[in-house]
Amino acid sequence: MKPEADGPLATPGAARPAGEPRGVAPTYRVVGTSGPRIDGPQKLDGRACYVDDLSFPGMLHAAAATSEEPHALLLDVDVEAARKSPGVLCVLTAEDVPGQNQVGVSRKDQPLMARDKVRWVGDRLAILAAESAAEARAAARKVKGRYQRLPGVFDVETALDPETAKLHDGGNLVSKGVVRKGDAEAALLEADVVISNRYQVDWQEHAYLETQGCVAVPDDSGAITIHGSMQCPFYVQTAVADVLGIPLSRVQVVQAVTGGGFGGKEDYPSELAACAALLAWRTCRPVKMVFNREEDFRLSTKREKMVVHHTLGAKKDGTITAVKAKILVDAGAYAGLSVVVAERGNSSAVGPYRVPNVQVDTLTAYTCNPFGGAFRGFGHPQVAVAHEAQVDELARQLGRDPADLRLQNLVEPGDQLASGEVLSPPVEARLCFTTALERVGYEDAKRRHAAFNAANPTKRRGLGLATIAYGGMLHACGQSLEGAGALVQVHRDGSVSFAMGHTELGQGAHTVVAHVLAEALGIPLDAIHRVPTDTRLVPDCGPTVASRTTAMSGHAVLDAARQLREVMVPVAAEVLECWPEKVEFVHGRVRDTAPGGKELAFRELAQACFLRKVHLAASGWYAPPRKLYDPATGQGQAYSHYAYATHVAEVEVDLATGQTQVLKMTCVHDVGKAIYRDGVLGQIEGGVVQGMGYALMERLVVKEGRILTANFTDYLIPTTLDIPEMDIVLVEESPEAKGEAVVRLEGAPEQVRGPYGAKGIGEPSLIPVAPAIRNAVSNAIGFPVRLVPCTPERVMDILVENKVDPYAA
Amino acid sequence: MPGPGTTPERTVTEPTLFPTEIPQPLAFTLNHVPVVLHAKPGARLLDVLRESGHLTGTKEGCGEGECGACTILLEGKPVCSCLLLAQTVEGQDVVTIEGLAASLGARVHPLQAAFMKHMGTQCGFCAPGMLMSAAALLQDNPQPTEAEVKEALSGNLCRCTGYTRIIRAVQEAGAQLRARSDEVTEALSSEAVARALSEGDS
Repeated sequence: MKPEADGPLATPGAARPAGEPRGVAPTYRVVGTSGPRIDGPQKLDGRACYVDDLSFPGMLHAAAATSEEPHALLLDVDVEAARKSPGVLCVLTAEDVPGQNQVGVSRKDQPLMARDKVRWVGDRLAILAAESAAEARAAARKVKGRYQRLPGVFDVETALDPETAKLHDGGNLVSKGVVRKGDAEAALLEADVVISNRYQVDWQEHAYLETQGCVAVPDDSGAITIHGSMQCPFYVQTAVADVLGIPLSRVQVVQAVTGGGFGGKEDYPSELAACAALLAWRTCRPVKMVFNREEDFRLSTKREKMVVHHTLGAKKDGTITAVKAKILVDAGAYAGLSVVVAERGNSSAVGPYRVPNVQVDTLTAYTCNPFGGAFRGFGHPQVAVAHEAQVDELARQLGRDPADLRLQNLVEPGDQLASGEVLSPPVEARLCFTTALERVGYEDAKRRHAAFNAANPTKRRGLGLATIAYGGMLHACGQSLEGAGALVQVHRDGSVSFAMGHTELGQGAHTVVAHVLAEALGIPLDAIHRVPTDTRLVPDCGPTVASRTTAMSGHAVLDAARQLREVMVPVAAEVLECWPEKVEFVHGRVRDTAPGGKELAFRELAQACFLRKVHLAASGWYAPPRKLYDPATGQGQAYSHYAYATHVAEVEVDLATGQTQVLKMTCVHDVGKAIYRDGVLGQIEGGVVQGMGYALMERLVVKEGRILTANFTDYLIPTTLDIPEMDIVLVEESPEAKGEAVVRLEGAPEQVRGPYGAKGIGEPSLIPVAPAIRNAVSNAIGFPVRLVPCTPERVMDILVENKVDPYAA
Repeated sequence: MPGPGTTPERTVTEPTLFPTEIPQPLAFTLNHVPVVLHAKPGARLLDVLRESGHLTGTKEGCGEGECGACTILLEGKPVCSCLLLAQTVEGQDVVTIEGLAASLGARVHPLQAAFMKHMGTQCGFCAPGMLMSAAALLQDNPQPTEAEVKEALSGNLCRCTGYTRIIRAVQEAGAQLRARSDEVTEALSSEAVARALSEGDS
């Protein structure tokens, strides 16, 4: 039998990580299986402690007073009434910040508390701590700002005009990203067909079920501990240290059980933690700050509204020759993560198509609108709506079938993406696409829908396709954050604990990483205990974002496991009286694989190591190879690998109401390797439903910078009654892949990927949904929808405009 | 520089207790045990359970009855504890997620086991409320159709799972509950048979 040491453990952290050598059929014992989540029991019996469930002696409660004006000079903040309010112990304004009054994650443009000027209704005038949350909120309402109003900036399309009021001294342009490949202008002049349209994709609220919250606990050593609901403890650590003016070593951040993030708990928890920390620092008491739902809606970040002007040029035969796009990104009042979101939008605007001439300009602008941030897909969902709509429009113009036209232009090995990088095999774009068509029975489905439509005067069915290439790991512009660590300890009884720097948000990160560790040490999953993510245990691992946790933390624990095996194998060889090369770790046992070889339990080996004073703790680390990329042209290696996906949406639109029901979603995802199969499927199912909400029903109504739909009564997210039938197919590389609906593919990864060839799935699951549904709705009603979400009102507008009256004789 | 050890600024305020702020004893059955908790007349049941009852399994997701995260069973019916004044449960029977399994005299309720098996939860925040709504459904209808499960859980929002695994888990738990009650019936009947036999002997 092949020793496991020849497997993935042989190459952790290397440029060609993870993947098995071509042609070798790997045998995994834990990787690729399903089973219970390791955090399941406590989440199902009520024991799991989320931040609002934590309590400390003497704990105070915090609230913030925010601006009443979307754009104004701030002449004065009157906190006297708030100070005298019952239960209040401490009121702080910008003057009271001992360190930097700054929380901007990408740029120092965002004060923790406003001074001189307010730029949106979420700007804080003051923060306060009281004996109860109700008293804190009541006091916050008594804080009064004195303002001199300035003209508001509410429209991203005019935000950059010279006559528009300026939010910041440098003007309203936050950043500009470009892609320059070939000569798009010239190619468009030569094109037989040019399709040019404007797409508007609105804000989306994360609507994680647990609102934002944290508790700051000062201690007697001059340090402070933050417990919170968050994705990025290291961001929180930095923000708290900066605001308090203390070194990072004195800020400990411990992630509490977190009730969903989806990007919404990437940067915003830093602001909350900075407020709570400041109040705790001043009062020397623990301070809790937990948003209610309305506060969360009004103050936390949103998926950015984008307006995409997309022009596509093609030959008569359907070959796409050029894409020219101008993308406007509404950042809100501060750069936040919008500038980074824009990079992903910029690099993804063409889609997985072979396009020789590309010109993309991505302009991110300051406005007084809701604060833009990270949200599952990170700029890609908005541009995917545009690029997939455009391909459908081209098909219509040419009288071609949209599937056929996509197949003609989809990238293959050796082709270049818009970034100019040449794709090495395997490129699963085509496989995902054709598999989706087969699963859905494409031609049949079209015929069925046509027959239904012919028989129903008031209902129309339609089918929509969307296909994407999702850039894996962080964009090249953010690669300074690409390193991850893990701490693994083997205890003397053979149980194993691990800590990682990335967070469990519900996505299953800890269970996935436990699978990787169990495989690597040949132990059962139940021998592994995960320690909550804590900045004192693992060095800065960057954020838990970009569908990269499996890859980054997975490689980090593999590195730690390799170190542990290095010290354990000689002891095993000594006890088993065999050659170290023959030692194998499997099923909780360690054995000599030579004929007649002896074996011992992993537990016994741990005990033997302990008695010999072998160091049974290892700190693993992984950093992927650098990507070479030129931001001035958008050319180079933008990402570490690409994950492909195709979704097919089948919908039914009621012509009398404009209401759309999604009948079925067929989703094919290239995941490289599903390490924790239930986790992968769960991510896709959740991503599809969240994407469906984005496509059809989740409309954040914003008027002059104020959100009018700040609760679940007015902002609708999908319920059990809205979900479609889902058919999910995983495209995997491993010929060992088990389970239903798996396409088996020969070939090995050439790209930098996660352990065992895994690619991320968190974001790719959502990105194609809105484009596919938008295309299906347009297909059903026979007119293009260019506003997303495609709410009933918007669909009715189109039907009325085009005089579609289902009740006309 | 301010920091721990420096004197905090403090505004001394005399607490004024209005009659509505004076906690009153509240006697009811909580998770199968009679209890007396203290609750202000205006307090929500959710807060009383979490604060006085130290049962933090019941969650607040929206505070206005839209998300269902705070669902508990009141006299066997699922209700949003964020919409309920605590005083109204005087003398009644309240079951929270912490008492769900004990309702069956079990350590793990079949619903919890099925949610584990099918990964019916991700972030876990909606799970307590979801499980209570599902428990109420299965109590009334141990063999629900998919449509009935969807209807019964439509007041419980989940942002992670896409619901399909939850629905599957509830249906499977229903099957297990049925098997369980069949076993009980069988046990009873065999007991009855045995008794009848012994009576016959004597």
